[in-house]
Amino acid sequence: MMWRLISDHAFCFRSWNDEFVVYNSLSGDTHLLGLAAAQILLELQQAPSDAITLATSLAPLLQAEIGEEFSLQIEHLLADLDKLALIEHS
Amino acid sequence: MNVSSLTPPELGSLLKQAGIFLQTGSFITHLQTSIPSVAEGIGLLYADYPLAEQGGFADFHVSLAPPRDLRRWFKPQVLFLSDGDAPFKPLPLDQAFPMLEWGLNWCVSSHANRYLIIHAAVVEKGGHAAILPAPPGSGKSTLCAALVHRGWRLLSDELTLVRIGDGKIIPLPRPVSLKNQSIDIIRRYEPDAIISRKVSDTITGTVAHMKPPTDSVTRAAETAQAAWVIFPKYQAGEAARLEVLPQSRAFMRVADNAFNYSLLGTKGFETMANLIDASRCYDFTYSVLDEAIETFDALKPPAPSM
Repeated sequence: MMWRLISDHAFCFRSWNDEFVVYNSLSGDTHLLGLAAAQILLELQQAPSDAITLATSLAPLLQAEIGEEFSLQIEHLLADLDKLALIEHS
Repeated sequence: MNVSSLTPPELGSLLKQAGIFLQTGSFITHLQTSIPSVAEGIGLLYADYPLAEQGGFADFHVSLAPPRDLRRWFKPQVLFLSDGDAPFKPLPLDQAFPMLEWGLNWCVSSHANRYLIIHAAVVEKGGHAAILPAPPGSGKSTLCAALVHRGWRLLSDELTLVRIGDGKIIPLPRPVSLKNQSIDIIRRYEPDAIISRKVSDTITGTVAHMKPPTDSVTRAAETAQAAWVIFPKYQAGEAARLEVLPQSRAFMRVADNAFNYSLLGTKGFETMANLIDASRCYDFTYSVLDEAIETFDALKPPAPSM
């Protein structure tokens, strides 16, 4: 399943240490995100993607082993970001 | 010309007739009232404030007057009017001066959207500002009142104004609002502090207002750079303790305490983010004011960004 950002230009990011504050100008909401969730948004800002591709590209950055467990974590994060109306199916 | 250059009868008469044009920080308020307790409060707490040109521009046109109903004969009340409209329900006449203070806060927090407005006290030393956002009951105003009598400059007790664009903190020094036990705590801590008479049974309990130090009023045009965001919490018996707060968490908490963060949209986000970037952020627990002052005096400003 492919995912994309709800809009290419809706978000402002600011990071401190391993946490990101993300402002969604479409909803006016501000979100506090961990490193993995924020990196998913940054990846999707480049191009739509799916959970497996995202897991492969994010694993080195997040120092995770590529595998079923990590892909599942990415899927959960994608579901959370979808609930926050930050991403949608492509 | 300052408020203190008018005698009490002159001040009362001017307030009753044409009104005064009171300069507080970067705002001018045209104020009219015939209520003696308001004239008394202005004379006492705003003595050092400049009066702007009579009949000139004013940001806010404000008056306090009894409502025109039958209650005025047996249970007198007061209405706060801004541009002729009453944004609040009337209060007992005895609460007229606190109502003026609350009303002036409302005027700024609902109209001055050229600033990011945070519900926070803010004090300055050496050009560096410490922002103290906190919910009621946290001891924010008590701490602020003590700090400004121990070498810190009052920028504001209630409304931190962050200028959009350069992020400078714009002073709005006005009387410090003290509630309940904090009134007597500050009377004991600083016997020379000028404090208005207590008004009981308000929505926040017993309140009184403390006159800001003259230096804070005369330097009201001097902006400051944000250096610290400190969430104070009074906790009986606790030693003064600063705990580092991650900047991302501080961002979310300050945004919760801002009046117009959402209204400002992306500009609000950028202004808040730059403010947090420029600041060291802490939770601060205290119970003894002298220990708190010592902690504040030992704060190191962040290194300037390149």
